[in-house]
Amino acid sequence: MRDVYVIGTGIHPWEGFSEKVFADFAAVAVGRALKDAEIEWKKIQSIMAGIFIYGGNAGHLSGQYLESIFGETGVPVVNVYNACATGSAAIRMAFNSVAAGEADTALAFGADVSPKGFLTAKSDNAVQDRDVIRWKMTAMPNPVYWALECRKRMAKYDTTEEDLAQVKVLMSEYGSKNPDARFKKAYSLDEVLKSAYVCDPLRLYEICPVSTGAAAVIVTADKELIRKADRPVKINATTMGSSMYGDPTIRISALSCPAVPEAPMLSESYSASRQAYEKSGMGPQDVDLLELPDNSSWHYLVYLEVCGFCKEGEAEKMLRDGETRIGGKVAVNPSGGFSSHGEALSAQAIWQVIECASQLRGRCGPRQVENPKVAMAQTYGLMGNSGTTILSV
Amino acid sequence: MGNTKNMVARIPNLVDWSTGEVRLMSAKCNSCGTYFFPKEHYQHRPGCSREGVEDGLLPNKGKLASYTVQYYPCPPPFKTEKNITPYGIGLVEFENEKIQVAGIITDTDLKSLKLGMEMETTTLTMFTNEEKQEVVTWAFRAVK
Ligand SMILES: [Zn+2]
Repeated sequence: MRDVYVIGTGIHPWEGFSEKVFADFAAVAVGRALKDAEIEWKKIQSIMAGIFIYGGNAGHLSGQYLESIFGETGVPVVNVYNACATGSAAIRMAFNSVAAGEADTALAFGADVSPKGFLTAKSDNAVQDRDVIRWKMTAMPNPVYWALECRKRMAKYDTTEEDLAQVKVLMSEYGSKNPDARFKKAYSLDEVLKSAYVCDPLRLYEICPVSTGAAAVIVTADKELIRKADRPVKINATTMGSSMYGDPTIRISALSCPAVPEAPMLSESYSASRQAYEKSGMGPQDVDLLELPDNSSWHYLVYLEVCGFCKEGEAEKMLRDGETRIGGKVAVNPSGGFSSHGEALSAQAIWQVIECASQLRGRCGPRQVENPKVAMAQTYGLMGNSGTTILSV
Repeated sequence: MGNTKNMVARIPNLVDWSTGEVRLMSAKCNSCGTYFFPKEHYQHRPGCSREGVEDGLLPNKGKLASYTVQYYPCPPPFKTEKNITPYGIGLVEFENEKIQVAGIITDTDLKSLKLGMEMETTTLTMFTNEEKQEVVTWAFRAVK
């Protein structure tokens, strides 16, 4: 396997609902990535595209739509969907393709446009698509699943409402310094605690909404391109995980979960992160900054444990002691996290990797982590989808 | 539970009231011992032969393993005649079957909810259909 480097990244800033076309957002991100890498479009030998599930035929073939904008060159185009870990899958395929020598330079991208209204069931067939059951019978939007887990955690580890609110305070502080974030207001603890419950114990400011955004990375093993790139970033490992039997977490869209755990919580992410540690020869102790999926304040806490940054039940202490701050033991979500961005399904995992790369390249201005050497991006997707990417300079 | 003769589940094969008690329709794998809900939601232990999967009903009663109160109306396709917001959602544990099942909490003071309290399975009428049948889902309520 060859060493693979990120040489170009591009983001279309996150925003709310849009009437514009997803491919136009994708083209902005990809155009910026090409410019950052200082390469021509014709250098791209493989395209791994995140599927935009609300985009119909176009969204399912997002790679073809993107390719035609820049000019069709006949290279392999693969479109992939793994829920919120879609971007992880695209990056992993681009990495594998280059590492194996199939292509020298590959592009991974994702673009999502937030549709108007609520996202609910995508079919009407309850036998085939169990997601229909939770919408018609149990009235459980996604945050309900997080709230059910958060309540269990609070009972087990004495998590306080202040802990949950403090996560938003931190995330909004960083988000206010990130020009690509959608939400740029910094909140006080009091303001978060005064926001309404959506599904208690989770409040409005403690869960993330759906957004529009696009992100693209260019990876290469071409020595000439690496040499002339501005601070190339090595990908030490990029992995995917699925759930393990006996995982006690109630997964989004499921109606039941095991009562007796036989596997770690969020085992898809446990699995993805442990694979990445094994492949990279690195562990949490080596990581200077971590981008984790803070879909809610509960996620922020539990993911520190799932990824092995502390023992079970110790995340609140890490938070309270400032160990997760920029300047602390591990800087967690210096981007402002999902809390400041919102979810853009196929793009978000790529944006997390870009934040890691940008931090390692020292490009993050007022939210810059001091001299980081190793960064990790961790995703979470519904029904057992997760990806981990470890990068270094 | 109203007049059961005039009740129909909005989605079949999930909830049963033919025994006189409302019970969830599960299935058990006799090879790996796992209970499933919904019964087609197979969750076999890796390496299981998957032989001998048998339909069965979960007990009527279990313990509250977690809960939340949802303060915003659930969007369609969820549908009720009356606004039920805010409504409780519970995760009820059936200990012997080693499974926790989610459902709306009905007929219970939401302020009285406590982890570990005993809950029973019941039905919740969501709306009346064109045949004048009560269209129901399963739900949980505190045992009085
Ligand atoms: Zn089995």
